[in-house]
Amino acid sequence: MRLYIKLVSALSRLLGVIAGLFLLSAVLSVSQMVFVRYMLNQSTVWQTEYTTYAIVAATFLGAPWVLIVKGHVNVDVLQIAAGPRLRLVMEALSGLAALVFVALMTYAAWYHFEEALTNGWRSDTVWSVPLWMPTLPMWTGLLMLCLQYIAELMRLATEGAPAPSAHGTELFDETVGSTKS
Amino acid sequence: MSPLVSGLVMLAALLALLAIGTPIAFALGLVAVGALFTVYGPFFLETLGEQFFSAMASFSLVSIPMFILMGAAVASSPAGKDLYEALDRWLNRVPGGLVLSNLGACSIFAALSGSSPATCAAIGKMGIPEMRKRGYPAEIASGSIAAGGTLGILIPPSVTMIVYGIATETSIGRLFLAGLLPGFMLTVYFMIWTIIACRRRGIGLSDLTESFSMRERFAALPRVLPFLLIIAAVLYTLYGGVATPSEAAGVGALFCLVLVAIIYGVFSHSWNFRQMPTIFRDTLKESVMIMLIIGASELFAFALSSMFITQSIAQAIADMEVNRWVLMGIVNVFLLIAGFFLPPVGVILMTAPILIPIIINAGFDPYWFAVILTINMEIGLITPPVGLNLYVINGIAPDISLGSILRGSLPYVLCMVLGIVTLCVFPQIALFLPNLVMGVAL
Amino acid sequence: DDVTLRASHQWPGGKGDVRDEMVQLIAKEAKAAGVGLDVQVFPGASLVKPKDQWGAVTKGQIDLTAFPLDYASGRHPEFSATLMPGLVGSHERAQRLNDSPFMEEIKSIVEEAGAIILADAWLAGGFVSQQQCITSPETAKGQTMRAAGPAFEEMLVGAGASIASMPSSEIYTAMQQNVLTGANTSSGSLVSYRIFEVAKCLTAPGENALWFMYEPILMSKRSFDRLNEEQQQALQEAGDKAEEYFAGEAAALDQKLIEAYEGAGVEVVEMSKDDFDQWLAIAKETSYKNFAERVENGQDLIDKALAVE
Ligand code: NA
Ligand code: NA
Repeated sequence: MRLYIKLVSALSRLLGVIAGLFLLSAVLSVSQMVFVRYMLNQSTVWQTEYTTYAIVAATFLGAPWVLIVKGHVNVDVLQIAAGPRLRLVMEALSGLAALVFVALMTYAAWYHFEEALTNGWRSDTVWSVPLWMPTLPMWTGLLMLCLQYIAELMRLATEGAPAPSAHGTELFDETVGSTKS
Repeated sequence: MSPLVSGLVMLAALLALLAIGTPIAFALGLVAVGALFTVYGPFFLETLGEQFFSAMASFSLVSIPMFILMGAAVASSPAGKDLYEALDRWLNRVPGGLVLSNLGACSIFAALSGSSPATCAAIGKMGIPEMRKRGYPAEIASGSIAAGGTLGILIPPSVTMIVYGIATETSIGRLFLAGLLPGFMLTVYFMIWTIIACRRRGIGLSDLTESFSMRERFAALPRVLPFLLIIAAVLYTLYGGVATPSEAAGVGALFCLVLVAIIYGVFSHSWNFRQMPTIFRDTLKESVMIMLIIGASELFAFALSSMFITQSIAQAIADMEVNRWVLMGIVNVFLLIAGFFLPPVGVILMTAPILIPIIINAGFDPYWFAVILTINMEIGLITPPVGLNLYVINGIAPDISLGSILRGSLPYVLCMVLGIVTLCVFPQIALFLPNLVMGVAL
Repeated sequence: DDVTLRASHQWPGGKGDVRDEMVQLIAKEAKAAGVGLDVQVFPGASLVKPKDQWGAVTKGQIDLTAFPLDYASGRHPEFSATLMPGLVGSHERAQRLNDSPFMEEIKSIVEEAGAIILADAWLAGGFVSQQQCITSPETAKGQTMRAAGPAFEEMLVGAGASIASMPSSEIYTAMQQNVLTGANTSSGSLVSYRIFEVAKCLTAPGENALWFMYEPILMSKRSFDRLNEEQQQALQEAGDKAEEYFAGEAAALDQKLIEAYEGAGVEVVEMSKDDFDQWLAIAKETSYKNFAERVENGQDLIDKALAVE
C-alpha cells in the first residue's frame, strides 16, 4: 500500500512537470503567432489550436499533482467544525464522491480518445490534427487523478484525517495583526 | 418530474456534496452526471468525454491561465512590492488607500480583459499578498479583489456583452459603451464602501502611524516604472491592433516573464532564474482548479438545460401579467438565483431568447437591460456554489478561507444591488454614452 | 404517450434567422400533426456547442439539429465538399445539386454515421472587409482574413492573403481592433454577428456566389427508429415543409444581408463572372487539389458536383 502511494504520487509529480512545460509552450505559441502575424504579416495556421490544446493538456496532466498539494478548492466549514471521527467520515465520503465522478470521466475520456483514434478523426482546420493527440492527455490525466484519489483514500485509511489545515484555522482567526509579516 | 422538482433535487444533492467537503469541480460534475443519467440513460457517457473536452478546449479560456501566469511572474519579483510601496507612500493618509488603488487597478485591467476571473487573477495575484503584508484584514483584501474583478465583464471588452449582443441582435459596440459608465460607477461604490469599512473598523489605518515627506514620496516613483511598462505594453497590444484580448494575455505573460528576468534578474539581482519553476507551479495550481470548475460547470449547465429547468422558469416569468417594475424585480431575482448556479454566458444563452422580448415589450431599453443583466451576472461570480471569482481568489491566497472571502465580498454584492437600483432610477448612466457616440437607437 | 424531442442549433432564437425558423416550423408542424410529438427547441447553442452537435445527433443525445455539415469534416473528410469555393454558384444550382449523385454520396455518409436528413438547405455567404472591397483575388492580397473552413483558407492563402484562425465569436473584436481586415462567412452570420458595425465593404453573394455552405436539418437515426410510423411520417412531412419554406426564403436572405449592410452605411459590391473565374482557378490549384489528395475518391466527388448543370 505504501509502495502504491509512493509510486502513484511520483508519477503524478512527473505529469505535473510535463503540465508546466505545456503551459510554457502555450505562452510561446501565442506570442509567436502575434509576432508572425503583426511583424511579418504572415498566415497563422496552427497556433490558436495548439495553444488551446496545450492548456487543456496542462489542466488534465496537472490535476493529479494539484490533488497532492490540495489545490482543488472545496468548502470545508463543516469538516473543520466536526470532531475528528466525523471529519474522517466526511473526508472519506467526499473522496469517494469525487472518485466516482473522476472514474466516470476517465471512462468517457477513454471512449472519446479510442473513437478518435480508431476512426482517424481530425480537427476540422487546415492544420487538421489527429484528434487522439489532444484527447490523450485528458484521459491520461483523469486516469492518474483516479489512481491518486485511491492513494489519498488509502492514506486516509492508514493515517486518519490530517489535522485541520492552516487555512482552516484562519476561518476563526479574525484578528488582523496575525497576518502581518 | 417537473423541471422545478428536478431542479430542487439537483440543488439538494449539490449542497450535500459541497457540505461534506467535495471539491467544487467534482461536486458539480457528479450532480451533472447523475442528472444526465436520468435524462438520457447510460449512453450519455458516449458523448460526455467529447463535451468535457470541448468545454475546456476554447481559445477564449486560454486568457485565464495566461493572466495568472502574468501575475505570478510579477509577484515573484519586487515589482509588485515597489508599486505598493509607492502607492503606500502616496495614499497612506486615505483610509483603505491600498484597497482603493487595487480597485482602481481592477477597473483598468477590466479594460484589458473580457473575463472576470482573468481580471481577478491578474490583480489579485499581486494585490492580495501586498495588502495583507500591510495589515489589511483578509476579508477586505480578498473581498475587494473578488468584487473588483467582476468589473471585467462590465467594462469593455466583455465576453458576456458579445454573447448578449449576438443572442439579442443588439449592437455590440453600443453595448460596450453602455457598460463603461456603470463600470466606473460601481468602482466608485466599491471605493466608498471600502473607505467606510476601513474607517469603521479602524483597520487599514495602521499606515497612518507612518508619515512620508514629499521627497520620500517622489523617490519611490522610478521603481513603479516596470509596472507601468507592463500595463502600457498590454494596452498597446490590445488597442494598437496587435492582438485580440485572448491573445494579449499570452503576449502579456511572456512580456512579464522577460521583463522580470531582465530588470530584476540581470540589473538588480533581486530575482533569480531558480524562481521560474515556482512561477509555473503557482500558475498551474490555480489554473488547473479554475479550468476544471469551468469544465464541470458547463456539464452542470448542460444538465440544467437538458431538463429545461432554466427555460421553464424564464417562460413562467414571461407568462405573468404584472406591472413592468414588478416584472423587472422578478426578472432580477431570477437572474440573481440563476447566477448563483450558472456562469454568465450560460445564463444569457438559456434565458435571453425568452426574456429579452418581454423586457422590450414592457418598454425597457435592451442596452440598459444588458447592463442590469451583466451586474446580476457579476454578483453571480462572487456567490457560491458556482462563483468563479471566489475560487480564483482561493487559489491565489490559499491561506484565506472561502468563508472569509465570502464575508468580505458580501458588502460589495450590496454595492452592486445599489448599482442596479441606481440604474433603474437613472437609466441615463447606461444610455448617455452610447447615445452620445452612436446616436439615439431606434 | 407523448414523445418529447430535443432540437438544437447555434443561431439566435426567435429573431428570424432562417435556420431557426426552419427548426421552429418543424416543431410546430410536428405538434400540429397530432401524433403525440413535442419538440423543444434550444437555440443559440444553449444545449450543445455548435461543433459538438454532430456527435450528439449521431448518437441520439439530441434528436434534431440544424447543422453546417462541414463542421464534421474532421470526421468525414468528404463533407469538406459541402463548403468548397465556387462549387455551387447560385441558389438555382444548389436546388439541382440536392438530388444529384454528388449529394447522394454525401447523404449516404451522413446516414451511415447515424443521422437522416429532414430538409436540405444551402446558405450563401459573402466577404466583408475593412480595407478595399474583396472582388478579384488581387483585392484580397495582403489582407488578414478569417475564413469559415479550411477549403476557403487554402484558397485565400493561394490568393496572397494571410489567415488568422480564431473562433467566430472573436471576429467582431478582431475586426474592430484591426487584427483582422476581412472575413467570410454565411449571410446569416454576417448579419447576426453584427459585423456590419465594423466593416467598410460587403461582397454580397449576387449572381456569382463563391461561398455556399450546406446546412441541413438532421435527425438522429437512433431517435427516428424509436418513433412509430405515424410520427416518422409527420416529421418527414414537416421536414419537407421546412425545405419548401427555405427554398422560398433563400434569395430573400441575401436581400436581407444587403439591407442590413446598406442600412449601416457599408458599401456593398458583388463579384463579376470574371472575378469568380479567377477565384475558381486558384481554388482548383489549392483547395480542390488538396481535397482530391486527402479524400479517397475526392476527385470523383468533385467531378460529380461539377457535372451538375
Ligand atoms: Na472587460
Ligand atoms: Na454564483
